[in-house]
Amino acid sequence: MQKAYSNKKIIFTLVFPGLLMFTFAVLAPICLSVYYGFTDFSGLGKFNFIGFKNYQEMMKDKNFWMSLRNSVLLAAGFIVIQHPLAIITAALLDRMGRKAEGFFRCVYFLPNVISVAVIAYLWKFIYNPNFGLLNNIAKLFGFSGKTNWLGTGTAIWSVLIVLIWHGFGWGMLIYYTGIKNIDPVLYEAAAIDGADNKQTFLRITLPLMKPVIEVNVTLAVISALKQMETVYLLTAGGPGNETQFMANYLYKQAFSSFRYGYGNAISVIFVLICILATRLLSKVFPKEA
Amino acid sequence: MKGKKKKLTPARIVMWFVLLVFAVIQIFPLIWLLDFSFASNTEMFTRGLLIWPENIRWDNYVTAFVNGHFLLYLKNSLLINILAVILVLMISVMMAFACTRMHWKLSGTVRGLILLGMMIPIHATLLPNYIIYDKLHLTDTIWALLIPYVAFSLPQGLFLTGSFMESIPKEIEEAAVIDGCGIYRVIVVIMIPMLKTSLVTVSIMTFLNNWNEFMMASTYLSSPKWKTLPFSVLEFTGIYASNYSVQFAVMALTAAPMVILYLILNRHITEGVAMGAVKG
Amino acid sequence: MKLRKAMAAGIAVATAFSMMPMSAMAEEEPVTIKVFSNNPDRTADQGLVEQTIFDAYMVEHPNVTIDVEALDDEAYKTKFKAYAAGSEMPDLVSVWGQPGFIDEVIDAGILAELNQDDYADYGFISGSTDGFSADGKLYGLPRNTDVIVMYYNAKMFEDNGWEIPATYDDFLTLADTINEAGIIPVAMDGGDKWPLYIYLTDMIQKSEGEGVLQKTLDAISSGDYSDPVFADAANKLREAAERNVFEIGFETTDYGTAQNLFTNGQAAMYYMGSWDMSMATNQDIPDEIRENIRIFNMPVINSDKAASTALTAWNGGGYSVTANAANKEAAIDLLNYMFLPENWTRIAWENGVCMSAQDFSQFATGTETEVQKQLMDMVSASTNVSGSPLGDLGTSEYKTVCEDTVQQLAIGSISTEDFYAGLSALVK
Repeated sequence: MQKAYSNKKIIFTLVFPGLLMFTFAVLAPICLSVYYGFTDFSGLGKFNFIGFKNYQEMMKDKNFWMSLRNSVLLAAGFIVIQHPLAIITAALLDRMGRKAEGFFRCVYFLPNVISVAVIAYLWKFIYNPNFGLLNNIAKLFGFSGKTNWLGTGTAIWSVLIVLIWHGFGWGMLIYYTGIKNIDPVLYEAAAIDGADNKQTFLRITLPLMKPVIEVNVTLAVISALKQMETVYLLTAGGPGNETQFMANYLYKQAFSSFRYGYGNAISVIFVLICILATRLLSKVFPKEA
Repeated sequence: MKGKKKKLTPARIVMWFVLLVFAVIQIFPLIWLLDFSFASNTEMFTRGLLIWPENIRWDNYVTAFVNGHFLLYLKNSLLINILAVILVLMISVMMAFACTRMHWKLSGTVRGLILLGMMIPIHATLLPNYIIYDKLHLTDTIWALLIPYVAFSLPQGLFLTGSFMESIPKEIEEAAVIDGCGIYRVIVVIMIPMLKTSLVTVSIMTFLNNWNEFMMASTYLSSPKWKTLPFSVLEFTGIYASNYSVQFAVMALTAAPMVILYLILNRHITEGVAMGAVKG
Repeated sequence: MKLRKAMAAGIAVATAFSMMPMSAMAEEEPVTIKVFSNNPDRTADQGLVEQTIFDAYMVEHPNVTIDVEALDDEAYKTKFKAYAAGSEMPDLVSVWGQPGFIDEVIDAGILAELNQDDYADYGFISGSTDGFSADGKLYGLPRNTDVIVMYYNAKMFEDNGWEIPATYDDFLTLADTINEAGIIPVAMDGGDKWPLYIYLTDMIQKSEGEGVLQKTLDAISSGDYSDPVFADAANKLREAAERNVFEIGFETTDYGTAQNLFTNGQAAMYYMGSWDMSMATNQDIPDEIRENIRIFNMPVINSDKAASTALTAWNGGGYSVTANAANKEAAIDLLNYMFLPENWTRIAWENGVCMSAQDFSQFATGTETEVQKQLMDMVSASTNVSGSPLGDLGTSEYKTVCEDTVQQLAIGSISTEDFYAGLSALVK
């Protein structure tokens, strides 16, 4: 039996296709990015090696730091706004009857199955300052309704709202499942001890949900860093570069400014930041098991 | 607790209210979209929130359906996503089996390497992959999408199937192996049926992730041959710049397949997603 | 659709006679010409003209198939650069004969050289092919003469008793009056950013009246923008934005939305190039607005120097054949066919799509839309043209920076000094 489990040929056939694909589509391009990151390649014609110049420039590039700041802001938005709301909704939902639970769960999750392209354009219309839905609602409540939601100053918040809105159902669903997995006996015990709803939530639900929260926070940070599509269509990083995110910025540098080398240098740093962030989070949340 | 009849106390009313507010926030923009997709372009500029169109403009949908290449793009999207899901499932199960059951030196290293991929953003490979695919003449082919889609879904697939496989006791398949059953047969006949729930999860996550993707598609594809559904929307905003209601119709139409699929498979999808996230 | 087919057939018949000996030849090898175009709508505007000519060409050359990939302007430019970085360029491509787009492309050897003698009888307006040339060699053909104009809703003006402004100050006062009436004075596509630097160049042209192109080119190459006319133009753009001459959120309003504000009666005026004269024939636009679209030239700022006939105009869009095209000969043949005066120029003019860069007066029918007639008069009376606007005259990096910062300038998040300092810093 040992022999069957260590048959090199079989192992090779099992592992090779996946490894090949991964190397070809993930590792090789990253290596190529490292290579081009050291050049001044414009995307056309010849290029020179310029050492760490691209990286030095990046350190001074306001827009690069702006992208990073926006990712951090988005991650914070997820953690501080989206997740608490999702947990509370999930806890409330847990108390509803079966039918209501199913209905709300379905409604909350619905935006998640709609393609980002549709979502981004839809919100562009919602935010339109001259005939958009949001300003029409504002007018209904007696405001002037002349806010330019995607304008300077407010744009980043408007982007955050869309992303928080779009991902709300996903977060809610996960917390909901986490809460459902809590042993009902614990709640009954709490009820016998005379704990009210708030106490039960703070003393039992939240502590038991800790592992789920940790996973969700990690996922939120990663998805904030990876953000591209919605911003690309909603604001293209504008006005100016106020809503720039890293993936969008490297794309713009490479294909709009003809700075392919610089774009690749940003890619390299982008990968490093993502890996670093995950490592850091796993340090913050040590595995109990 | 379960059997208890729930009374309409003030607390419950507040609960209902909060949940309903969230439900309205989540769903209203979609209703708004649907509403105005039946209106005429001038009706877009009303002050009201929702309107009752003077004439229901089905022709918006006809335009969207015909000029948006809807069927072709839908077919491409389905084909590419289903192929991606099948490939991810196959490769993940094979690798997971090799990494959790078989004995070889590099087992841990290979698994760790692939899992590292979960942290790598797909868009960081956008630029170099363009050059690679161009050199290999893969641009504007189905491979230009299929390869990155599979490769970037693989880490998650391996992670989920791997951790699920570890929780399955070894005795069952070991008995089969002793009886002379080959490894390949063990995987197909014994492992796959036991992995069913995690495979559903991997399928759903892979499908949802890649269904949304359009940056790769818009960079690597040029002819309509393999373009995916988001292109119906992307192309329309240019073509029908002066007709918003047609744009709304194409958005609603593009969203429809997934919404319908979701409403049918509601239970499986939510459970699949929940399982994947709680595990991972 | 029907229109297009009928036209295609018409051209085919008209040219079939002259081509008789050709088509009588033995069957030729099948050829596929790949076209990459910035006109996604194949049933209206320039896309219609393109497609009509392509269809006719395919009727005449049964062995030729023309595959068109078309994207919106901004998406087009991005994808074009991606193509340029790769090796598989399409055969015939849309280009802009302005340094910000074409210089690096020509330098990289991507475009095929054309034979200038082929076009002796094509009637190209003198100077219109300059932007498509380098070192005396021709790399592309211009398809339009672009003039920036102010479209206005004549009925709205009449109903409210508004007058077409004679000076720039009148224009600002008019904008205030329109604002008071609760209407947006000017619909501005500030989301795409380039209309903002066109406005800036327009300001310079209306202050200086001549020599604007040279002045701008000198400033870009030296990084010296100290001539007060630059600061003055930038201040004027900022002032207009501050005074709400443009709609709220103009900096995030895209092309389609800006046009829609105007064509749905939300805005009284619309600042855009002459290519949008096709609005006057666009059936999607409500009749009462479509029939009342008129234009005026942005009024002068300094009447001592600039005449009211000084236009902000240039030859922008056009086509080139790529150097490594799989079917280079066929693509050049197609390009030459497109620009036979009875093709592009005639079809574009007769459909009210745009003014070509060729002599189109021979195709005047007298049944043109009012906007077309006004444009024709404006162009024939012009005493000076500005040449390409600011952002299109540098490198592509210059263009990106100029676009981003002119937007910031307009919304007041950077000062005029910072704006020009940023542009100066690009001189290496």
